[in-house]
Amino acid sequence: MDGVFYNRFERHAHGEGLKGQSTHYCAGCGHGLVHKYLADAIDELGVQDRTIAISPVGCAVFMYYYLDVGNSQAAHGRAPAVALGHKMANPESIVICYQGDGDLASIGLAEIIQATQMGIPMSIIFVNNAIYGMTGGQMAPTTLMEQQTTTTPTGRDRLTGEPMRMAETIGQLSGPVYVERVALYDNKQRVRAQKAIKKALRVQVENRGLGFVEVLSECPTHLHMSPSDAEQWVKQEMVPIFPLGVKKDVDTEPWFNLDEPNFEPDDIVTVIGSSTESSAKGTEPFPSHIDAEDISLKFAGAGGDGAQTIAMLTTRTAINAGYDSTHIPSYGPESRGGTSYADVHIATTEVLSPASLKPHVLVAFNPQSLEKFGPTVRDGGVVLYDSTVIAEPPQMDPGIKTYGIPFTQIAVDLGKAMVKNTVALGATVAATKIFPVERFVNTMEDALKNKCALLPINREAFNRGIEAVEALDKTR
Amino acid sequence: MVTTKTDKKARPKPFLFPQFCKACGRCIEACPKDCIHVGTQIDPNSGLTPVVVELDKCNGCGLCIDACPEPYGLMPVEGEIEDMSLMDPAQIFGPRQTSAPKPEPIPGTLVPLPDLEPMVLKGTHAAAVGAILAGCRHVFGYPITPSTEGAELMAKLLPQLDGVFVQAVSEVATVNIMYGCGGAGLRCATFTSSPGFSLMLEGISYMIGAELPGVFFNIMRGGPGLGNIGPEQSDISLVCRGLGHGNTHAVVLAPSTPQEMLDLTIAAFDISFEYRNPVVIAADGYLGQMTGRVELPKTLTKPGIPQWAVYGDRAHRGNLITSIYIIEADLEIHNEKILAKYDRMIENEQRANCFRCDDAEWLVIACNTPARMAKGAVQELRDQGIKAGLFRPITLWPFPIKQLTPLLDRARGLIVVEAGPGQLEDEVRLALSHADIRNAPPFSHVRRYGGVLPQQQEIVDKVTALVEA
Ligand SMILES: Cc1ncc(C[n+]2csc(CCOP(=O)(O)OP(=O)(O)O)c2C)c(N)n1
Ligand code: SF4
Ligand code: SF4
Ligand code: SF4
Repeated sequence: MDGVFYNRFERHAHGEGLKGQSTHYCAGCGHGLVHKYLADAIDELGVQDRTIAISPVGCAVFMYYYLDVGNSQAAHGRAPAVALGHKMANPESIVICYQGDGDLASIGLAEIIQATQMGIPMSIIFVNNAIYGMTGGQMAPTTLMEQQTTTTPTGRDRLTGEPMRMAETIGQLSGPVYVERVALYDNKQRVRAQKAIKKALRVQVENRGLGFVEVLSECPTHLHMSPSDAEQWVKQEMVPIFPLGVKKDVDTEPWFNLDEPNFEPDDIVTVIGSSTESSAKGTEPFPSHIDAEDISLKFAGAGGDGAQTIAMLTTRTAINAGYDSTHIPSYGPESRGGTSYADVHIATTEVLSPASLKPHVLVAFNPQSLEKFGPTVRDGGVVLYDSTVIAEPPQMDPGIKTYGIPFTQIAVDLGKAMVKNTVALGATVAATKIFPVERFVNTMEDALKNKCALLPINREAFNRGIEAVEALDKTR
Repeated sequence: MVTTKTDKKARPKPFLFPQFCKACGRCIEACPKDCIHVGTQIDPNSGLTPVVVELDKCNGCGLCIDACPEPYGLMPVEGEIEDMSLMDPAQIFGPRQTSAPKPEPIPGTLVPLPDLEPMVLKGTHAAAVGAILAGCRHVFGYPITPSTEGAELMAKLLPQLDGVFVQAVSEVATVNIMYGCGGAGLRCATFTSSPGFSLMLEGISYMIGAELPGVFFNIMRGGPGLGNIGPEQSDISLVCRGLGHGNTHAVVLAPSTPQEMLDLTIAAFDISFEYRNPVVIAADGYLGQMTGRVELPKTLTKPGIPQWAVYGDRAHRGNLITSIYIIEADLEIHNEKILAKYDRMIENEQRANCFRCDDAEWLVIACNTPARMAKGAVQELRDQGIKAGLFRPITLWPFPIKQLTPLLDRARGLIVVEAGPGQLEDEVRLALSHADIRNAPPFSHVRRYGGVLPQQQEIVDKVTALVEA
């Protein structure tokens, strides 16, 4: 006998005794019916091998005892997230996300809204029995007003809110293609439920989108009713609050398509931005006139000054020159229009502390930065600042070489205020003689290789910075 | 022949093994011909009172079958029903649970890479590149500073390699998407930071319980609460001792350079799949942001599909991903299996790096970025003639006690340096205790909190004071 139900439910208490052929559900529970309709639909659509059923936390937690498909059991409320993971991993798989009302409409609200709004082809089966079955009859988000549960012993009231109408909520999202609410209380409703479940699967199998079926279901145990009274209760009490019918049904073309992941070495090398060719790298002498083994620089300004960019160019240049180098930015709220500091270290063999607490070189783009970090610069160090915005620099230690250069004015004269950082970089290179000019130019060309139009003006700005330092040096 | 579904045209009639009837009565109301009645005899197997089916008036409409919640309750039968009732159910249902084949493992392969120039990458980017080279094409995440750049780079690069980045609705959703993707047998990862990692814990416990791989970058930041985005190491207890509820552990790797961000990421995926267990890469905010030189490996991984995966194809149909073992004895066995796995990790995965430890009398212990300051301090102390050494655990769990033990004999003091309130020191002390080492040298420490890093000078001063004391 080969169906979508296992021949024997070996996972149900090792399939011993009657458990090998009967479910763990209470007599008359709606879950069993929904499982049967699901099994039928999987069979008729011929997708048993490709199907992955996600069992929720709730009474349906053991759905995997029964359905002979790939099975995955999710944390409470997270079945849609697990489903998404499976579907992304294998777009060919047919993923069924099965959830109760506590699972879907309470703890897992965020996950179900995301999954349904994404609208990736999946099938969501939502069993609404107006109660928490598994934990023993507590209030669900779908519990009716005045309905007694163990956590609403005098009936649900205003304080605990009104029942959630999930089919309507999901139906008004743009993500899903098909949303319907059905019930199980008589032959007619059962036929509709079967059809709806099949359709929710079919829209996925045809790769057209996400189907969502809410099933009003009986929990005779916690309603404290016979199964047939429970059927009547669903019909008379639930249906007025949860009207049956199609909430959304749109015609779409098949669309979901993910190619097989690519593991081609050449493509990967390109994508990660690596290269095999050696771009004029080599060994420059270490700039030991600044420090014998570890040089630290600080670039400080406001967000938008471009301090990080030139710090990064300096790090790259040092690495291209054959040394270890690190760059660490200040970041977060500070980087939003506020301050923007960058610490750079260059070491003969290995940078140890990457912070520039006592820099050899400070480049300051505004008065606050100069004021804050000027005093931290080491004796014998170099300070460069933007004299366009810093008219009166604070008194510096006489052992420190100071260059006031109008970074901004020079850049504005070139027609692009943005390149003031490149002016500053040129000035820094000239004032410190850290590495040869060509090495910086190489790095810059490399960094701008996809923005060639920007290269001429940056080279010009870089040169102007060098010239400004040379002019100042002449006057000293 | 028995079929589980209703073939309407054939008009089969219902058959019931009474022991599988739960006596719910749904079929009674469903039958338009009044063929089914409340039973009067208790079934000795089930202890329930199954309904009685009398098929004289039955027209084979099948409505009763569609009303029966039990898969093997009312079943459609074509042909002679009398024969059926004489048969042994075990024979009808067959001896096996499923016709699904036994899956074979599809092994991954190592593909050679050309000789590549070193790259200049920030820590989070080095991790992202490492993940790509490790064969990860699925990354899920929720933005949180200072981890986001890793996710952002993945969002940019993965689609170019036909991979997927999904921004989840939260970290809770993230870890559960990973549960699904990892459950399908694929290599997936997330980038997060302390508050986000806290939110993932339930899911990590589920992944450990269900034995699923997945790599978690926790770029630790200042806490508790929202704290700040500065570099702290105050999730060490969380990642080593508190991975959600239950009996949980995962290998925790602590890189200290962008290079290690890449290298340990590649190792993390391999460890994760080897043990079918999540792996945590615990870095700090400083390292995440720090740019440095990164050498690329000689090979990349083209992953296969493990035998146990629920991939969504015929070969893997028989598989199940779950963390439930409802019978206590079964869960005990499962825990024993997990514990044996932890033992193997403890045996095989301890990693550490020693700098000038061979003759060290003053053993500085530090990881992540503080280890760089500590290394600078050790260098400086050595220049002063003080025999200092740096012991840098690379695995925080399992703690590399094997590598530490031989250094203890010569050591006169252990100085634990951390950007946090002593959680690394707790790990060292626990490891010593578990190893029954009672005569370890005395502990002292340099600790900063709240996103402030211990500086080289503080460490030098501390050790100098100890030497002089
Ligand atoms: C994080 C978490 N919180 C709470 C629970 C306990 N719990 C298990 S099932 C359940 C409610 C299930 O109700 P529902 O989703 O309506 O499914 P039903 O049992 O009614 O089918 C709860 C609260 C849990 N397992 N995990
Ligand atoms: S408690 Fe309710 S929902 Fe759970 S199995 Fe029993 S009847 Fe079904
Ligand atoms: S098949 Fe139709 S007529 Fe026959 S017992 Fe079932 S419901 Fe009644
Ligand atoms: S519906 Fe099924 S379980 Fe319920 S009484 Fe009828 S045969 Fe028995």
